[in-house]
Amino acid sequence: MNKTWVLIKREFFSRVKTKGFLIGTLALPVFVFVIMGVQIAMQSLGTKEKKNLALIDLTGRIAPSFIAYMDSSYQDARKTPLYTFTNVQAAPESLSTLKSRLSRQVQDEEINGLIILPAEIFESGQFELHAKNISNMEFNANLERALSRVVSDLRLAQSGIDQVLVRKLTRGVDLKTFKVSEAGTKEESGMIAFGISYVMMFILYMALLFYGQFVMRGVYEDKSTRVMEVVLSSARADQIMAGKIVGIGGAGLLQFLIWALVIALVSSYGMVMMTLFAPGAGQLPIPAISLSVYFFFFLYFILGYFIYATLYATLGSMVNDEADAQSLQWPVTFLIILGFLFMFFVLNNPNSTMAVLLSLIPFFSPLLMFLRISVGAAPWWQVLMSVVLMILTIIGLIWVTGRIFRVGILMYGKKPNLPEVLKWIRYS
Amino acid sequence: MATAVAISGICKSFDAVHAVENLSLQIHKGEIFGLLGPNGAGKTTTIRMLLGILMPDSGSIEILGRANAREIPNQVGFLPEERGLFKRMTVLDILTFFAELKGLSHKAALPLADQWLERLELKEWRDKKIEELSKGMQQKVQFITTILHRPQLVFLDEPFSGLDPVNTNLIKDVMLELVKEGSTIVLSTHMMEQAEKLCDALCLINRGQSVLQGPLAEVKSRFGKNRCRLSYDGEARFLQDPKLVSRCDDYGQYVEIQPADEIRPQAILARALNEVTVRSFDITEPSLNEIFITVVKGSGTTGGDHE
Repeated sequence: MNKTWVLIKREFFSRVKTKGFLIGTLALPVFVFVIMGVQIAMQSLGTKEKKNLALIDLTGRIAPSFIAYMDSSYQDARKTPLYTFTNVQAAPESLSTLKSRLSRQVQDEEINGLIILPAEIFESGQFELHAKNISNMEFNANLERALSRVVSDLRLAQSGIDQVLVRKLTRGVDLKTFKVSEAGTKEESGMIAFGISYVMMFILYMALLFYGQFVMRGVYEDKSTRVMEVVLSSARADQIMAGKIVGIGGAGLLQFLIWALVIALVSSYGMVMMTLFAPGAGQLPIPAISLSVYFFFFLYFILGYFIYATLYATLGSMVNDEADAQSLQWPVTFLIILGFLFMFFVLNNPNSTMAVLLSLIPFFSPLLMFLRISVGAAPWWQVLMSVVLMILTIIGLIWVTGRIFRVGILMYGKKPNLPEVLKWIRYS
Repeated sequence: MATAVAISGICKSFDAVHAVENLSLQIHKGEIFGLLGPNGAGKTTTIRMLLGILMPDSGSIEILGRANAREIPNQVGFLPEERGLFKRMTVLDILTFFAELKGLSHKAALPLADQWLERLELKEWRDKKIEELSKGMQQKVQFITTILHRPQLVFLDEPFSGLDPVNTNLIKDVMLELVKEGSTIVLSTHMMEQAEKLCDALCLINRGQSVLQGPLAEVKSRFGKNRCRLSYDGEARFLQDPKLVSRCDDYGQYVEIQPADEIRPQAILARALNEVTVRSFDITEPSLNEIFITVVKGSGTTGGDHE
């Protein structure tokens, strides 16, 4: 049997057959679902929390319309208002004693908060909230929204301007996004499209980083346990390198396929659930991930993996332990992170010359060209060009790194410096 | 006798260090060949070149009729001095993996693996992970990986280190059996007693150069069968007589005397009886251990100008 195949098989199965792999593969989806579940639970619980509030209106004019607005705008599932207000009358001279009394009630949790609308609110545009928890962003925003509305209405009324007309004239505009593609024009949410591209690219980024480091660790572990030497007496260095890279890559790919399957199952199940329980949500324009994006996702993962895995394998061959590996690996890790950092620029200007150039650099292509493809900004010739460039890079890298690898795996002791490594390339 | 390995004039240096200098040797088929030498003498580098892991800078190697062991990796077995196995694999997986790497099919490897586990008393550890095994057991497993595929040429680097006498015997028996069946074994060791018992021929390397080589019997006879051990009271001035004594080591309880050329031990005894009170006198052949120390010290101090 072919030796490379025997080596690949060992790398693959020695990883896939472990409990760690099983746990790692299942842990991620479980983790994601737990986080999502907790978030949903928090949200539905958090908004239903009722609050009992004291209100001191020193203007004497705002309270009724403010309370009415709050009551009608924020209600729980049974249509009862979320916030109950006690409108406390206060003369300016007794304000401080009143304030301290109510503050104590807040302290004792008899009430959830104290809202003070100062007399000069129309000029200063400020009001006060005294509460134990002042960082409930949603509640704060609700208060602000309601008061802004009520206060500006009163201001308008005071100046004798027709409120209805003003409201009509100052109505805001909403953005509706349409994605133009070969399949035609379709209404899609820009935010969701961005989210999907972002998530897929983030997965690519993590995968390149993690699997690359697995390869590196695999090489230096075999080296430091000296098993490398025995294998080397039976197989060539390039076969060992190929075994590592392909075997670990295969395990990674398997993990990806499992996750993709889980995502597909859950999202179709989720869609069914959504149309059953929230019929309105079905009309939300969620962009479907097209098969071609999936295809490019795997293509760029595989090509990118080969680029970075060869680099990481070489790093692994040069060191003996984790500490040396950490200190040597930063240039490669930096390349991956750099590609990730360019993401926002490319996402905002996917067709700029800079974005095109960046996405054609083979070390960045796996992230950036994929990103441009996923937002539909990459013409076919650029895609082709990036693929060709990446393949050429892989061939070149294998040539150079193979030489370093061959020498490196027999070197023990201190980690080599750059001139030494250059010498390995020349002499081997 | 057919030649299994022939090295002529190989050199290998790393930067300024000459690891191996102009080394030549011949290993015959079916013999146990001792590659001996102190630490850092160049044994590992030599074995690596023989295995084709390293390429010599100059000189030529012929191994089982080929220029490079790389062409016939499946006929070669290698047990490195620094042991290492994949820690998280089971014993059986390790054995079949290395067997497959040596060209055997998984199916063919399985019964062989069981056979060897039985033979080396590791049967009940078959499905345990390597990391659960003791050092000695790991070493036996690694020994099996070296010979499972019935290699024609086996390189064993310190195969007995860390093994108890029982296991040492187990391994030794397997080695003798392999040789009987026509395999050739290159044994690299510091344990001169083992080498003395097992080796048919040997090469002593120091500072990358061969300082002594040949069949064991010949090497020993080269150092003479006429070592005299003398235990005495009195002042033995005759020991300084170069016409009589070519070399003398004082061990406290006795002195070991190498007579000068053409001088028979009897002549030394006669002089000793004349000058001192002799307590005991006997004639022995030098042990390999002694030869090793003598040669290494000698080549060390003289800068290794031996042939």
